[in-house]
Amino acid sequence: MTFSDAVTYWRYRLIPDHIIGEILAKRWIDNAIPFVTLIIVVAGFGSVMPDFFGVGGLETLTRELGEFGLVVIAMMIVMLAGGIDLSVGSNFALANIVALALLNVYGFPVWLTFIATLAVGTAVGLLNGFLIGYLRLRAFLTTLVTLIIVRAIVDMLLLRLSVRVSAGNVDSDLWDYLGDGTVVGVPFGFLLFLAFALIAHIFLSRTRPGWQLMAVGGMRRSAHNVGIPVRRTVCLTYVASGIIVSLAGFLFAARLGGAGSDTGFGLEITALTAAVLGGNSLGGGRGSAAKAVFGAVITLIIVNGLVRLGAAHGANSFVLGFILLVAVAVDVRWLRNRHKFLAKVYVSPVFKSLPETFGTERNSSSPFALNDKLREVSLIGLGELDGPEDVILDEDDNLYAGTRTGDIVRFLAPDYKKQEIFAHVGGRPLGMAFAKDGALLCCIGGMGLYRVGKDRAVSKLTDETNRTPLSVIDDSRLKLADDLDIAPDGRVFFSEATIRYEMHEWPVDSLESRGNGRIICYDPNTGTTRTVLRNLLFPNGICMTHDGASFMFAQTWACSISRYYFAGPKAGTVEMVIPNLPGYPDNINRASDGTYWCALVGMRTPSMDLALKMPGFRRRMARRVAPDEWLFPNINTGCVLRFDEQGRVFDVMWDLGGENHPMITSMREHKGHLYIGGILNNRIGRLSLSGVNASWSGPRSYWGDA
Amino acid sequence: MTLGFTRLLDAFLGRGESAITVPALDGALRPNRKLDEAAERIPVESPSGIAAESGGLLIATGNSVRRLNPDRSWTDIHQAEAKISCIAAIGGGVAIGLETGAVNIVGGRFDGTRIEASADARCPVAIDSAENNLYVCHGSATNGPNAWQRDLMERNASGSVWLHELGTSQRHRIAGELAFPAGVSVARERLLIAESWKHRILRLDRATGKVLDIPLTDLPGYPGHLTRNSAGGFLLSLFAPRSQLVEFILREPKYRRRMMAEIEPRYWVAPAYRAGRSFYEPLQGGGVKHLGILKPWAPTLSFGMVVRLDENCLPLESFQSRADGITHGIVGAVEMGGHIYAAARGDQLIAKLTIASGRAAP
Repeated sequence: MTFSDAVTYWRYRLIPDHIIGEILAKRWIDNAIPFVTLIIVVAGFGSVMPDFFGVGGLETLTRELGEFGLVVIAMMIVMLAGGIDLSVGSNFALANIVALALLNVYGFPVWLTFIATLAVGTAVGLLNGFLIGYLRLRAFLTTLVTLIIVRAIVDMLLLRLSVRVSAGNVDSDLWDYLGDGTVVGVPFGFLLFLAFALIAHIFLSRTRPGWQLMAVGGMRRSAHNVGIPVRRTVCLTYVASGIIVSLAGFLFAARLGGAGSDTGFGLEITALTAAVLGGNSLGGGRGSAAKAVFGAVITLIIVNGLVRLGAAHGANSFVLGFILLVAVAVDVRWLRNRHKFLAKVYVSPVFKSLPETFGTERNSSSPFALNDKLREVSLIGLGELDGPEDVILDEDDNLYAGTRTGDIVRFLAPDYKKQEIFAHVGGRPLGMAFAKDGALLCCIGGMGLYRVGKDRAVSKLTDETNRTPLSVIDDSRLKLADDLDIAPDGRVFFSEATIRYEMHEWPVDSLESRGNGRIICYDPNTGTTRTVLRNLLFPNGICMTHDGASFMFAQTWACSISRYYFAGPKAGTVEMVIPNLPGYPDNINRASDGTYWCALVGMRTPSMDLALKMPGFRRRMARRVAPDEWLFPNINTGCVLRFDEQGRVFDVMWDLGGENHPMITSMREHKGHLYIGGILNNRIGRLSLSGVNASWSGPRSYWGDA
Repeated sequence: MTLGFTRLLDAFLGRGESAITVPALDGALRPNRKLDEAAERIPVESPSGIAAESGGLLIATGNSVRRLNPDRSWTDIHQAEAKISCIAAIGGGVAIGLETGAVNIVGGRFDGTRIEASADARCPVAIDSAENNLYVCHGSATNGPNAWQRDLMERNASGSVWLHELGTSQRHRIAGELAFPAGVSVARERLLIAESWKHRILRLDRATGKVLDIPLTDLPGYPGHLTRNSAGGFLLSLFAPRSQLVEFILREPKYRRRMMAEIEPRYWVAPAYRAGRSFYEPLQGGGVKHLGILKPWAPTLSFGMVVRLDENCLPLESFQSRADGITHGIVGAVEMGGHIYAAARGDQLIAKLTIASGRAAP
C-alpha cells in the first residue's frame, strides 16, 4: 500500500461518513430543526435575562403554556388532516366568557359549566367541520368567517355580561384549584397539557383513527381510495379542535377570572406559528404531538421574553409574523429537498484494496484459464422462469427454484419439462436448503428466513435479530437475507448481505464496499435469532463443511471465501480460505467428493478495482452520475469453480460471452449433474459431470438416508 | 474573481463546465438500427480508413490499401511501411497517413509525394485536398493516431491543421490548439474540421485557418471522418459515443492519472471502437444483462453512428448501431454509386447502406 493509499484508508476508516446518511434517514430528524431552535431560544433569553428561567418565571411560563399548548395541539390536529383552523382565538374567547358567565352570573356548578363550555366549543367545531368536511368549503375562508362571527358573538356577550361577570364571585375550591392549583409544585393546567400531548401522541401514532387522520392529510385521494371516510375524518378534526380549545378557554377563565375584548385576540396566528415552527407541515400528513409541544414552548418563550424585555408595541406581532414566514419557508424547502439531499449523502464508500489475483489467460497454467465447458449445458425452463437465484433438488430429483415473482417453482423429474408452483412465498426467494424433516428452508429478500413444509405450508422462522449496540440504523429487521445452511444440530446459519440497502439496491452496496453484511444464526430449538458475525463485505453463500463444526462463507465484494467455526476447539474463529478470487463469489454448495462448488457471479475489472481504492471518486460518482451509468462490478460473465478446504481451486467452468449463462449465482450438484441458477437469468442450466459419484445427492450428504 | 468563484461553485455543484450531461439522441439523431440493418456487410480486418475513388471503394487495413471488387473480394493496391491511420483520394491517387506520422501519396498526379513527420505534426488522422492543396489534420502533438484514448484522457488540445502546397512543397500550420481534429472536409473556400474532444464541427477559412463559425456543437459522440456527399452536404462519422461516466471521469484527474498509469488501455474507462468484448472491461449499471439480454439503451463505451448533414452542417438523418448492435466504431463513411459505405473498425466490416429515395436534403 502506498502512502497516499494508507492515508485514504485511515481517513475513511476513522471518519464514519455513513452516519450522516443514516441519521438523515431517521424519521425523528424532522424534529431536529425545532429542537435546535428551542435550544437557541432558551439559551438566548436565558443569557439576556438571567432570572427569566427562575422559579417565578417558570411558573408563569408553565401556567400560560397549559392553555396555549392545548390550542397548539388543536391546531396541530387540524393541520395534520390537511386543514387549518383560524377560529381558535375566537373560540377560546367564547369558551372563556361562557364559562365565566355561567359560573358568575347564572351560578352553575363547576362541573355543569365545564360540560356546557365544552358543548359550546364542540358546536363551533362542528360548524367548521360540517362546512369544511361535508360541504367541502375552503378551510381557510370558512374558519376565517367563523373567527369573525364567533368574535362578534363574544363582543355581544361581553357588552351584556362583562360588568356582571366581574362583579360575581365564585366560591368553589375546585375552580380555584383549576386556576392556581399545583401538583408537586407544577401547575395543574400545565400537567393537563402534558397529559393531553401524551394522549394525542398515542392517538396519532398508535390508533387506527389516528393513522387514518394522518393518511387523509398525507394524500386525500389515496385515503379515500383505501376506504377511509375522508369527510368524516376531516369534520372530526375540527370538532376535536373545538373541544380542546374550549377546554383551554375554560382553564384560562379559571386562572384569570376575567373577560375582556383582547382575550384570545391574535391567538390563531400565535398558535399557527407555534405549530409550524414545531415542524408540523402546513400541507398536512406530517406532524406529531411532540412537534406541537416544541413549537408551543418556543413561541411562548419568545412572546413572553419580548414582553419582559420591554419590546415596543407591535414588535411582538412583527417578530411572530417574521418567524412564521421563516418557519413556513424552512418547512417547504426541507420537505422538498430532504430526500434529494439524503440520496446524495447516503452512499458513503470506503477504501478497499483487493489483493492480486489469478490470471484467466486461455491455455495458461492458471486454475482460472478460460474454457467453454459451460457451453454444453442443457437448459431447463428457458423463458418460463424469471431469476432463479438458487436451485436445489430433493431426494426424488425434483428441482426447486425461487423466482422474482415470489414463487418457489418445482420442475418435475425426470425430464424437468413440467413445472408447478410449489409455494407462493412473496418477497424474493434467494438461498435454499433442505432440513432434516424434508422441509425447504428459504432466505427471502425483504422478508427473512422462511420454511416451506412438505405439505407446502409456508411459515416464518425469523425476520429479526438482536440490534447492534449503538447502531444508528435499526438493523434488527432483516433486509436482505441471502443464503443459508443448516448445521447438524438443526441451527440455521444465514447471511444478510447488507443492512444499509434494500433488496433491489444491492449493487449500490458494491460501490460502498463497507462491511455492511452479517451472518446470523437461528436456533429452532429455542426460537432465538442472534447475529454471529458482523461487518462482512456482502456475505453471500454459506455451506456447512463436512466436519459439522464450521461453515464456508463467501464475501462477495471482498472476493474471498472464509471459514467460520461455530463448534469444536476453534469455535468462534474465522479462517481465510481463498483471499484473492478473480471475481465475486456467490453461493457455495457441497460437491460429491468432499470439496465445494462456488459460483462467481461476476469478474473483477481493473477499472473497478482501482475505483475501490478511491472512495472519494466513488462517492462523487454516486452523487453526480445516474445509477444506470455507474461503474459496476462486471456481473455479465461468471464461472463455476470447485475448491477444497485448503483453498485449492479446481474445475473452473466458463461460458464466455454469457450465451447460456450471462450470470451465475448458484449451482447444485445432484446425482452426476450440476444445476446452475442465476438471479437475472430466465433459465436453469443442467450440466452432466464426468467422473463423479452418480448417486450422490445433497439431502443425503446432509442427513444420511433417513 | 467572480468568474473564478463561479467556476469553483460550478465544480462543486456539477454545473456549467463541470456538468457531465450528454446530449440526448433526438431529432435527426433519434436512435435506430440502420447500420445493423445494412443491406450488405462486407468483412474486413480492422479498417482504419475509407475513401471513394473513381476506380472504386478504397479502404485501409493494417499496412495495406485495398480496393473493393464487384464480387466483394479485395485487391491490394499498396503496401505501406507502417500501419495506416487514414486515407483520402487525391488527384487520381490516394493520400495515406501513417501511424509513424508521415503522409505519402500513391498514384495519380502527385504520386511519390512524401511528407515526413515533424515534431509537431506526427499524428495524421484526417486528410482532404482541393486543387494542389493537401490539408492534413494532426490529432495531437504528443500522441500517435493509435493513442487517441490517451489523448482524450489527457484532455489535450494540441492538434493542428496543416496546408501542404503540393506544387511548391511548402507547408503551413494554419490552425493549432485543436482538441483532436479528426475530420476535415473542404467546402468551397472553407474548411470543415471535426474537433473531436469538443464534440463539434468548426468552419475555418481555408487560407488563413481563422475560425469563422461553429456550425454544429454538442454532438452525442466524438466526431471523426467527414466527407462531402452527392447532395452537397456531408457525411460525418462519430467513432465513439460520449457517456456520462466518461464525462465524469474526464473531470476526475486523480482517477484518470492512476488509470493511465496502472491499467492497460483496453480496459480503461474510455470510449472505444468496440467495447464489451472482455469481462475485464468496465461495466456500467445499465449494461447488466437481464434475462440474457443486453438492453439497446444500455450505457456503452462504443457505438456506431454516421450522420448525414446538409451544406450548413444541420443533421438530416443518422445511421446508428446501439449498445447491443453489431456495427460499432465507424471510422469513416463515404457515398459512392448511390450507397453509403461505412467502415466499422470496431466490428471489422464495411456496411453498405442504401440511401432512402426521397429522403434527400429538404
